[in-house]
Amino acid sequence: MTRTLLRGSGAALAVLLAAVWAFPVYWMINTSFQTPGSINRLTPTFFPTHGTLGNYTAVLADNSFLAGLGMSVTITALVLVVCVAFATLASFAIARFRFRSRGAFVLAIIIVQMLPAEAMFIAQYKMLASANLLNSVLGVSIIYLAMVVPFTTWMLRGFVAGVPVDLEEAAMIDGCTRMGAFRRITFPLLAPGLVASGVFAFVQVWNEFALASIILTENEKATLPLWLRDFAQTSNLGVTEWGQVMAGSVLVAIPVIVFFMIVQGRMAQGLVGGAVKG
Amino acid sequence: MTTPAPAPDTVGTEPAHPQTPAPTRSRRPRRSKLPLWLILPAVGTLLVGLAYPVTWQIINSFKEYGLAQQFGQPAEFVGLQNYIALLTDSVFWTIAIRSVVFMALTALITMAIGILMALLMKAVPTWSRIVLQVAMLLAWSMPIVAQMTVANWLIDDRNGVVNYALSLIPGVDMVGHNWLVEPLSFFGVAMTIIVWASVPFVAFSVYAGLTQVSEEVLEAAQLDGAGRAQTLRLIIMPIIRPVLVILLLLQLIWDLRVFAQIQLLQDFGAGGERYDLLGTYIYGLGIGQSQFGMASAAAMVVMVLTIAVSWGYVRSMLKEDQES
Amino acid sequence: MKKTTLSAAALLAVGTLGLAGCSSADAEAEASTSSSEQAAEETVEPQDITLWLAGTDTPEALIEYLKTEYTDVNGGSLTVEQIGWGDLISSLTTALPDSENTPDVAEVGNTQAATFTTVGAFMDLTDYYDEFGGDSLLPGFVEAGSIGDQVYALPYYFGSRAVFYRSDIYEAAGVEVPTTLEEYTEVNASMKEQGLGGAYLAGRDWRSGISWIFANGGEIAEYDGSEWHASLSSDASIAGMEMWQDLFETGNVAQSTDDDTTTYSAINDEFLSGTPASSTLAPSWATWTLGDYDEETEGYVWNPETFGVYALPGVDGGTAPVFAGGSNIGVSAATQNVEGSLDLMGIIFSDEYQTMLAENGMGPANLDYADIYAENSYFEGVNAVALEAASNAKLTPAAAGWASIEEAGIMEDYFQAVAEGGDVATLAAEADAKIDELING
Repeated sequence: MTRTLLRGSGAALAVLLAAVWAFPVYWMINTSFQTPGSINRLTPTFFPTHGTLGNYTAVLADNSFLAGLGMSVTITALVLVVCVAFATLASFAIARFRFRSRGAFVLAIIIVQMLPAEAMFIAQYKMLASANLLNSVLGVSIIYLAMVVPFTTWMLRGFVAGVPVDLEEAAMIDGCTRMGAFRRITFPLLAPGLVASGVFAFVQVWNEFALASIILTENEKATLPLWLRDFAQTSNLGVTEWGQVMAGSVLVAIPVIVFFMIVQGRMAQGLVGGAVKG
Repeated sequence: MTTPAPAPDTVGTEPAHPQTPAPTRSRRPRRSKLPLWLILPAVGTLLVGLAYPVTWQIINSFKEYGLAQQFGQPAEFVGLQNYIALLTDSVFWTIAIRSVVFMALTALITMAIGILMALLMKAVPTWSRIVLQVAMLLAWSMPIVAQMTVANWLIDDRNGVVNYALSLIPGVDMVGHNWLVEPLSFFGVAMTIIVWASVPFVAFSVYAGLTQVSEEVLEAAQLDGAGRAQTLRLIIMPIIRPVLVILLLLQLIWDLRVFAQIQLLQDFGAGGERYDLLGTYIYGLGIGQSQFGMASAAAMVVMVLTIAVSWGYVRSMLKEDQES
Repeated sequence: MKKTTLSAAALLAVGTLGLAGCSSADAEAEASTSSSEQAAEETVEPQDITLWLAGTDTPEALIEYLKTEYTDVNGGSLTVEQIGWGDLISSLTTALPDSENTPDVAEVGNTQAATFTTVGAFMDLTDYYDEFGGDSLLPGFVEAGSIGDQVYALPYYFGSRAVFYRSDIYEAAGVEVPTTLEEYTEVNASMKEQGLGGAYLAGRDWRSGISWIFANGGEIAEYDGSEWHASLSSDASIAGMEMWQDLFETGNVAQSTDDDTTTYSAINDEFLSGTPASSTLAPSWATWTLGDYDEETEGYVWNPETFGVYALPGVDGGTAPVFAGGSNIGVSAATQNVEGSLDLMGIIFSDEYQTMLAENGMGPANLDYADIYAENSYFEGVNAVALEAASNAKLTPAAAGWASIEEAGIMEDYFQAVAEGGDVATLAAEADAKIDELING
């Protein structure tokens, strides 16, 4: 009896917490469908009953959102694929081999993560400018790659170490080369780890805007965070058009929500797997 | 290592038997070039992306480098002047301490709420768990700029729903209250947003860890007469401890390096050193005030401080790494 | 050698300039054919150039005009990038010194103009000064972009500040539009006492509050010939600040923690709660967001029945100096397209473009067009008042370190502390010390 009661109040608490966590998201969506008239009232409008799509048409009127989406997706995809590939190789090396420069390499990828990025923007600009890579996907991607590879390598190391080396050795006895054994045996078992560490890289790259604002000065090259930030700051002479800004926020969030929906199960499992064994 | 034996396999990556100790011991001693080839792409990436900026930063931290130098005047070496100026500046230390406190509080609160949330998810009926999970997933996937923009709208002084709701309490009139002016209130807002956004990740991970605690173990514990609290403390906690350690570590790293949220909040509200953490302070010194030499020195100091603080951890990690 | 090419280029630029001016004034078709003829004769290489504008302040139509006109005059194409105000300093700092990537022409906020001018970011335009408008250009802005007699960054547009008020509330309270600054306090105190209204004096909005210091003859900082010195604790500045504090305590309905983001719309119906704001000192472009809300157009419509505007009165009548907003524009010192950049500057300072600025509610850089600005407004009167105030407008100190002071929020903090009732002299001395530390760069 008390057990049911306990479970019942637990359920109520869960729903309450769900409401708290979802409320900002709900409010964003709610506001995005309202007219400035109902937004600017002192009494908030809790349901978009007299909703308008006007904010969305206004936001999508010029092609800047789609251009931003294109930039963000291209940069993130490029960085993600290359980062996971490079990091997998490197993590294999440090998890499975002893070699002379190994200690230095491990130390380097730890130290690099402790270096604040905020003072290097000027130097990074100069570097890309001299290579003629400003306002290019490649230029930002190179910097982002250096930003995410160390952490991804370190995280994947735990996963590789978690796969027993005996499995690879068995495959080698069967005639595989060292790399062949890794590719056929260990790599497939790394899937949750790849997803988990990939998500970290994704979040970092997708959210970055400070460096991007300096490197990507051409308006049509703006990534989505830049697009939304400029949009939120410059709308209409100092008075924020909250409806449009919220519509913009919804549009920026949708791709990430979709991505997270797809990967979330594996992501959490992956983290646990890596931690328990790492 | 005191890591308890992993719970029965649920993931599929589980080793068939406990981790082989020192797998490399049996490796052929022959010096293979293979690992060098394997780390080459990663090393190349770091060199291409960071070698120049880091060198530039180190050199300029010893120079008088301001806007005039950026526009072509020769930058003069000033020795340790930037470092001395920085280390004797009470503003820098205030911000450093503030950052550490902010980091610790935010990470601990996030962990506490996340763990409780995970325990709750384990205890409640499936339907309500899914409701909670969906809500968390939504919050988790909000991009930072969107998070901050929405938060700024929620706390808008006149039309924000937060002030409206608070004003419904009799005797309270919060309409027109600006949450971003009092520094304490500013950081409270920042912390709330960061906790809100980080809890889902912690909760999901701990929950996934909890699902690895097998029912049999729990039932056995109950048969042995262990109470709920005892089960939690003696059975569950040790099993999920490695997860908790890595989560706490990640939260600490992220919360110390927090930049985007504070920067955006300053854009929406007030700027200035009273609202700075280390990230925005370095950014403000460099990009804001064009004192690039000082900003470089500050970045170097922060790096050294971070290494110093985490040295124990780094060393144990390296040692553990050597042994594995 | 280099000098001769430069002056030849300059000559050429001046030639095309004259044509551009003439084309806009009279027969457009004729002029553009003759300019392309001339281009053919002199075999000017067309140059593709880039213009950086701050935020989205310049309307789309004006940008389009600049592009077409530039192609007509120069033959090359003009790319316009809008850099958000928040990113402007960082983008200019990185790009301007870099001749490969610099924008050829760039707009910069008037309070940032001095900083960039001092470090040599802009090309010397002294030789073209008369061509671009000479002494008709807004003097304060020219000063911000000059070093000594050399002019580097010219004014682009200005906005000034005026008091927007609710005539219905004034009427209900039985008060008149004040004619001195003292009366402004009295009028608001009276309204507030009756519970009918008061001034919306946001505590952290120093850009509005600074008028009280200016009106009393005070300054933020003064230049002694070699260095800047903060002067918030001069007698005049303190007198002004005490007046402001008095107004804040007796006739104000805003909070000490309010900033300038909500100032503009404080007197709209939706914002009137408790004791409503009956007036607000706001930039002239705030007119677009003031009035009655119209559900159909989803915009605000100025209602002359209930809304009005006047210039902030001075201590002894007349108008008080207000803080002038706006921006400067200059040619990057690192540009590789000097001729093209000068062509563009010529277009910007042409009759036609100055007229367009004025018609779009942006104070034209060239005061010869001020009448058009004063007359052309979507409702009458505001621009005339704004212009009256602008004739008296002041800028922040043209000091190298001013941008750092704004970044550190020193002025905001000072005004808030005074609004909270602190001792003005003590607070002023503290603020002065902080400003002195940064102001000389």
